[in-house]
Amino acid sequence: MATIVEDNAAGDAGAARQAALDHLWMHNADWVTMAEEGGPTIMRKGDGVRVTDAEGETWIDAHGGYASVNAGYGRTEIADAMLEQMRKLTYFPQGTTTVPLIRLVEKVGELAPGNLERVWPVSGGSEANETAVKVARAYHKRRGDNGRYKIISRRGSYHGATAGVMWMGASSGMSDYEPAMPGMLYAPQPNLYRCEFNSRTPEECAERSAKAIEDLILLHHPDTVAAVIGEPVASGLAPPAVEYWQMVRDICDRYGALLIADEVVTGFGRTGRMFAVEHYGVVPDIMSVAKGITSSYLPLAATIVATDVADAFAGEDNIFRQALTFGGHPVTAAVAIKNIEIIEREGLVDNAARMGAYFLERLHELKAQHPSIGDVRGIGLLLGVELVSDRKTKAPFDENLQVSNRLTRKMHDRGIIMRFGADKVTLGPPLCITADDIDQIVGAMDSAIGELEAELALV
Amino acid sequence: MATITENEALRRSSLQYLWMHNRDWTQMAEEGEPQIIESGRGVRVTDAEGRSWIDVNGGYNSVNVGYGRTEIGEVAYEQMVNLHYFPQGTTTVPMANLAAKLAEITPGSLSRVFPVSGGSEANETALKIARAYHKRRGEPGRYKVISRIGSYHGMTAGVMWLGGSPYQPRHDYEPIYPGMVHAPQPNPYRCAQGGETPSECAVRCAEAVERLIKFHGPQTVAAVIAEPVAIPQGAVVPGAEYFPMLRQICDKYGVLLIADEVICGFGRTGRMFASEHWDVVPDMMTVAKGIVSSYLPMAAAIVKQEVADAFAGERNLLRHVFTTAGHPVAAAASLKNIEIIENEDLVANSAQVGAYFKEQLEGLAIDHPLVGDVRGLGLLLAVELVSDRDTKAGFAADAKAPERLNEKFKRHGLIFRINSNILNIGPPLCITRDEVDEIVHAIDLSLWELEGEMGISRMT
Repeated sequence: MATIVEDNAAGDAGAARQAALDHLWMHNADWVTMAEEGGPTIMRKGDGVRVTDAEGETWIDAHGGYASVNAGYGRTEIADAMLEQMRKLTYFPQGTTTVPLIRLVEKVGELAPGNLERVWPVSGGSEANETAVKVARAYHKRRGDNGRYKIISRRGSYHGATAGVMWMGASSGMSDYEPAMPGMLYAPQPNLYRCEFNSRTPEECAERSAKAIEDLILLHHPDTVAAVIGEPVASGLAPPAVEYWQMVRDICDRYGALLIADEVVTGFGRTGRMFAVEHYGVVPDIMSVAKGITSSYLPLAATIVATDVADAFAGEDNIFRQALTFGGHPVTAAVAIKNIEIIEREGLVDNAARMGAYFLERLHELKAQHPSIGDVRGIGLLLGVELVSDRKTKAPFDENLQVSNRLTRKMHDRGIIMRFGADKVTLGPPLCITADDIDQIVGAMDSAIGELEAELALV
Repeated sequence: MATITENEALRRSSLQYLWMHNRDWTQMAEEGEPQIIESGRGVRVTDAEGRSWIDVNGGYNSVNVGYGRTEIGEVAYEQMVNLHYFPQGTTTVPMANLAAKLAEITPGSLSRVFPVSGGSEANETALKIARAYHKRRGEPGRYKVISRIGSYHGMTAGVMWLGGSPYQPRHDYEPIYPGMVHAPQPNPYRCAQGGETPSECAVRCAEAVERLIKFHGPQTVAAVIAEPVAIPQGAVVPGAEYFPMLRQICDKYGVLLIADEVICGFGRTGRMFASEHWDVVPDMMTVAKGIVSSYLPMAAAIVKQEVADAFAGERNLLRHVFTTAGHPVAAAASLKNIEIIENEDLVANSAQVGAYFKEQLEGLAIDHPLVGDVRGLGLLLAVELVSDRDTKAGFAADAKAPERLNEKFKRHGLIFRINSNILNIGPPLCITRDEVDEIVHAIDLSLWELEGEMGISRMT
């Protein structure tokens, strides 16, 4: 018999912890190991960049909830907007619509660059990218191009966890979910630090990586390729040189493939512009957004489609057939509107640019002092640090050393939530972060990495 | 209430910017749509023009506790003010409690909860667990999934090729996902296996699943997925033999059984979960909609302990993440929603009022030759219309019978969902007999009008 725990001030976090161990399947953690380690942490309170657990311990969230909590924690006015909408109408399915959803799509259509105007609302980044891919494939069919179904993504990218998108990009551990989706083509990631073409400059890496997309399209024949998808700036990597996206845009136009920008992480100010494609002066045909659109106050995401693409679906015979129960939920829309209002009112996009530049400068200082830091990079408040056992060869650490786990723990002990994985870490704190907060994070990294280096006898 | 001009401005804005479900903006503009819904209470919603409607469709059969439950908004508010979100890996009190509550109310050893944000994600998660489970046990060749023609399991690529029918075309989204195997639907009214009674149809359709497993080789089949009561063809209730046989067949061949209770769960069919009607415990159960009555997005894949155990230990991790999965605000709303279902005994109300509703609909069949079949369980009901009862033939497409009927329902203040001659009924579970009478009366009048227009005389 399961125990239900009252969440009051003296609430029994121990009982909630036991309930979670017994019944909850958590992300990338298993209940046996967690139990041995006294986990999971029960989070209870959030304010700005800080979260507090049930025992009263407080951390700075440098991870930012998978880089999603753009407006920061504890925004009571968002809760007010939620309650106000809940008092009017809690839900109604799309087909008819509701006032907050109309206001939201109007706003998003206005903010998104170029003619990205037609908004398909969903509940998460995976659904947004699934919808983008479906729109792309159906679009070509509407135009009589029935053979275009392949999707080009970049190795090392991430686009979601459902079957239509999890095979795009590529990471390890996918073999559990075979068979792979047909028609997945992989282009190189324009990752300067480990450029597949051994490029010496960002421009060289950008041009060669973009050219590889063209080669792939020609190899498979343009008549078979539906779209190219990529995050304008992949999480934890350096932004590609400006040539990259301009060339990819040209290549897509030349061969009739649609360009999908996955702005799930980068959208809504994360990189110091409202959308990261703005750094490149490029307008994609489809843009997917999630996370920052509500700062994760509630689940909401969207696929934003250029009018000339969406127009292929106008008219009764051309309908795009898709329905999702929670798509366009009015309460989540009301929350998104308030969240975007805060981002604009408080100038959080500019703050992301300024604080991001400061943060990156401080990370460069760290790198100068720590031989285990191979690379620091990023733009705005989407930053990355990569650790290496040898800077010259860029060799990773021996897996048995468990460097990622050890550093995650050391940072945790120093009051910072930061999740290292495969010797890398992505930083995506709330955009309202201050220079003092950044100093605190960098100070903790200095101490934690120093301790690790001492343990590993690195000088 | 907004003024006419404000409503027009809103409508124009939605036509310019919003991509709605299964509709297109040019057609909507011509028809003066979209309708804008502004408030809701119980089984009724009110639009921007101040007109009140009974929501017979119940928001895709999802609003189980009905509209306007302020207390759900209040608990969500309280949680949002404290902590609006934190990713899973750590967790929060409402999410831990929700997992425990689900473990408590689901049958058998279903007790490990993977929370997500919608039915598609829940079914995607179930399939990923099924495929990975067989790999953990050294059977990497098991990847195929058997679903039933005429079923529906979601819109993302891993689940949209399950089920399906000519009325839900998917060819726009080719290529099909590999390993999709389709079994017949045990629909007693139109049994694809020629069964003449519900039992005969159930047995033959279950045997067809076994034949498919043997044909493909059990070592290639990961799972069978089924809604206990299937929806797209209108609340299809299989004969009593079907699910117990499916359970046996799955056990015999080492195949996992996934019950998609996205619509059926949380009282919709007059039991907390529809699998209970047949005393069958699936290996996984997916839920959405009724878990939170659509107050916020929440869903889950609930897994049997012995299946989940294959993923215990650091080396056996399931690698699968959604940013907003296990959202604490949606979890708090779900807990309050389940509390309301339990405190107000809405499951029993669903059974009782559902039985009454069905009886009244069966009464319509006496007068109206267009009514071919009335079926369903609890408050998941359907009426199938036919042009000829003997042949069970539908209507010519250009007769536009469903569209015309829908217009009539609108005039009577009913929000309905009609596809391919099937009236789908899934109102909030708090519906009363009086409200049922109001709906049935409006259906009666509407059918009468349609039959008059079509020159069909009443039954004598």
